[in-house]
Amino acid sequence: MTLPLVVAITVVAGLLTLLGIASTLARRRIGLLHVAGVCLLEALLVVQAVLAGVDLARGDRPVETATFLGYLFGVLLIPVAGGLWARNERTRWAGTVLAVAAAAIGVMVWRLLQLWEATRV
Amino acid sequence: MSDRSALGPAAESSGAPSGGPTRVLVVLYAIFALAAGARAGVQIGTRFSEAPLAYLLSALAAVVYVVATVGLVRGGATGRRTALTAITVELVGVLAVGTLSLADPAAFPDDTVWSGYGSGYGYVPLVLPVLGLLLLRRTRNRSDRTDSPA
Repeated sequence: MTLPLVVAITVVAGLLTLLGIASTLARRRIGLLHVAGVCLLEALLVVQAVLAGVDLARGDRPVETATFLGYLFGVLLIPVAGGLWARNERTRWAGTVLAVAAAAIGVMVWRLLQLWEATRV
Repeated sequence: MSDRSALGPAAESSGAPSGGPTRVLVVLYAIFALAAGARAGVQIGTRFSEAPLAYLLSALAAVVYVVATVGLVRGGATGRRTALTAITVELVGVLAVGTLSLADPAAFPDDTVWSGYGSGYGYVPLVLPVLGLLLLRRTRNRSDRTDSPA
């Protein structure tokens, strides 16, 4: 768990949120740009899960390990679920569906970092 | 404008009784069902004896979110009634637990989704039921005219 990666994920999630809202405002469904954003976001989250997995295997344990793991793997599901849903949504609200999912990820990674830092308390 | 096409193809209008905004609400409810469910699972599984009341309330909140999500997804008269009941319970729950957690913090040694009116979750748990009830009201008026059987 590193701060730069969390910041990178937050930036991508933030851009995806804005992009989703833009589609809704423009009365459009989601396009290639959104799909690319979702893929990038999911890739970053997988990298984070792998890095955290390596740290855990080395013996670093956050105080609330179960909660930490719940967030770590739960957050991986959201881009997939949100992305598929938004892709199938034929109304202009597809973008907002994606924006909500992306915003939730932006919040969750910070909670994840907070849980991880509790190792050193 | 080329950047507009990057935003995707033109949208179809949401003509169905449960339109697009309902689906956005479903996403929010689904996320909270996941969050509250995971939280309750961890709390009850690892340290139930520390704060049984708070953890049971977490579990109740999770169930309420799941029921509301299902009700909103199903739509129709039954789905709407289910969602209405769940969301009403949710609103009462967040107000009651929020007030109690501030008035008597000792009774809630560990946080729930509804503690402090959902302050740990950006007060979304407080806003969500209000949005839900407003939306159900709006879609009911529309579906009275267009509702089809089943």
